[in-house]
Amino acid sequence: MKIKFKILTGFLLLIIMLLIAGAMSIYEFSRIGKSVRALIDDNYKTIEASKTMIEALEREDSGILLLISGKWKEGRQILQSADSLFLSAFDIAKNNLTEKDEDMYIEKIETSYLIFKNKWEPPIVGTSKENSVNWYFTEVHINFIKVKSEINALMTLNQDSMYLEASELKEQAHRAIMPGIVAIVSALIFLVMFNFFIGLILVRPIKKLINSVKGYYLHSQNFDAEISNHDELKELEIEIQNLISRIHQKNEK
Amino acid sequence: MRKEIVIRHIGMVLIFNAIFLFISFLISLYLSETSVVPLLYSSLIALVFGLFPLIYVKPSHYISIWEGTSIVVFGWITTCLVGSLPYILWGGEFSFINAWFESVSGFTTTGSTIINDIEILPKGLLFWRSSTHWLGGIGIVLFTILILPGSNTSKLVLLNTEMSPLAKSNFKFRAKEILRILLYVYLGLTILETILLNLAGMSFFDAINHSFATIATGGFSTKNLSIAYYNSISIEVIIMVFMVFSGVHFGLTFNTILGNKNNIFKSSIFKAYITFLLVGVILVSLKLYFSDMYPWWESVRYAAFQVISLGTTTGFATIDTANWPSFTQIILIYFTIQCAMIGSTSGGLKFDRIFIFFKAIKKQIKSIQHPHAVISLKVDGNSINEKTEIHTMIFIILYLGIIFITTALLTYLDVDNFTAFSSSAATIGNVGPGFGNVSSLGNYSNLPDLGKFFLTINMLLGRLEIFGIISLLFIKSWR
Repeated sequence: MKIKFKILTGFLLLIIMLLIAGAMSIYEFSRIGKSVRALIDDNYKTIEASKTMIEALEREDSGILLLISGKWKEGRQILQSADSLFLSAFDIAKNNLTEKDEDMYIEKIETSYLIFKNKWEPPIVGTSKENSVNWYFTEVHINFIKVKSEINALMTLNQDSMYLEASELKEQAHRAIMPGIVAIVSALIFLVMFNFFIGLILVRPIKKLINSVKGYYLHSQNFDAEISNHDELKELEIEIQNLISRIHQKNEK
Repeated sequence: MRKEIVIRHIGMVLIFNAIFLFISFLISLYLSETSVVPLLYSSLIALVFGLFPLIYVKPSHYISIWEGTSIVVFGWITTCLVGSLPYILWGGEFSFINAWFESVSGFTTTGSTIINDIEILPKGLLFWRSSTHWLGGIGIVLFTILILPGSNTSKLVLLNTEMSPLAKSNFKFRAKEILRILLYVYLGLTILETILLNLAGMSFFDAINHSFATIATGGFSTKNLSIAYYNSISIEVIIMVFMVFSGVHFGLTFNTILGNKNNIFKSSIFKAYITFLLVGVILVSLKLYFSDMYPWWESVRYAAFQVISLGTTTGFATIDTANWPSFTQIILIYFTIQCAMIGSTSGGLKFDRIFIFFKAIKKQIKSIQHPHAVISLKVDGNSINEKTEIHTMIFIILYLGIIFITTALLTYLDVDNFTAFSSSAATIGNVGPGFGNVSSLGNYSNLPDLGKFFLTINMLLGRLEIFGIISLLFIKSWR
């Protein structure tokens, strides 16, 4: 094997090792990017929608209290805007089903919200419900609490999943960084080995050649560098031997 | 010493690691697991470092003893380092020291683990974990020299370094044949156990992993509850039979299968080994039964499995022995120290040395009674020379000395006495589980990092028969 090829192979192996470490880090980082996006798309949207639903629900509760106290106009205005806010948030959650059994949670919210809505949609002002605290606690508040707890359950489901996803992100970050660290350490060991092998295939035979040449002209020893590799240095040894024999022949003539 | 020759051979060992890492990667890739990248990259690193020396160093037909010792010792250390890479890269519970511990424990077939939840590990990584047992069981260096071409002289040097001199007494063959026999028995037992476990109801994946761990007398399971998970008598019986066979000298097993003279029925060491195991099972069963721990049948069932598991240095568990009566724990600790037969895949002190030790005591008593008589120590009609006798005694003393030193070091790190002693004995014996906080269904995760590191040195000392590593420390005397 030629020296050039040996050195080139060494560098190629080093490059391959570093390139693959880089590629793997990039792959893991792109996965982290996707996971972050998924985290936002999958869970964060629903959590925000749940918060909006709870806020809308609380406003509806205030609207009902206004109706009970006889303030029809203010009460209905608040209820109308809160209802449309709730429905738009609910739509976001309904169209963002990403967790197992999430559809069940949505269905439960939908059903209990309809029951709750049926309580405040019919007229309240001017009926027996006006000023009836008893009606509020027995009919309205119970359903309000039920819808709220079901929204909270949906929020918890997504928060738990988000926590798990975040833990997984930590692992992914570790997996993205580690190939780089391992590559650096490996490259250092590789370079030490490379240095040793360069010494073995280049420096050691060259020293042998120098010593043999010196031995020849200083002490008239036979020229034999004993190079065992079959590469350019072996060729050089043979050429020097040829040269010496030609000089001998010339001197003899 | 020619460093390049040592590096070249270590490179060959790494190529074998790369192959098994690649198989594990394929499993992970097929199952789309999180260990795809860690396994692939580890495989590549092992391959690059394995191929690199082959480009620069020409094969040599001669290896000196010093070079042979260096190849074996550094080959094992490098293998363990590369083996820890997929764990480090994967993360989870694997810090650097934990990954190193798991890798050394795997390759030395110790089977101690630092993982609290094994079942969350990706299957590719679990397969690699079991593969480390299988590669380490046969001796990664032996495996390499068997498969790769090389001269018989160099093979013999490596064989002599990797294998205990006592082990070769039951092999009446040349180096090449010894290696071939080892591989045939090893492969044969692995395949047979996998099939039987699969038939007994284990999934193929679990069967092959448990088979790797049994034949290598390792003890890594794919389940947190080890064999207790299956609660199956047939599985326990199969594993017990294979644990016993894996603890027997492979040459004897091979001769028995071929119907040769030098078989297990003629071996007094084998008979004594089985007798010791049986006595152990009876003693533990009786104590368990009379302590009202279990009904008689369950006492025998649990006692048999635990005694065989520890007595063969495997380390599987069907029950947590931490709450067992002290007497049964002492018996199990004896088996942890005794270990299995020389020439098997087990590490540690080995039963043959205990056998020679008892014979030497008998000889000593006789020589006191008859001071002028010439008394020789014989095993199966063959005289054991004085050199082997002295070597055995020194080995036993050194072995117990190392257990004492490691126990002292662990107690210095505030580990309790019982845990420290049993973990030292379990790791140098390549057994795996100890008692106290590291009992059969427990793990080593709670030990201090430095303590874990000491225990990995114990594992390597036990696997490499102590003198291999120690001799490298005295480089000057080699010259």
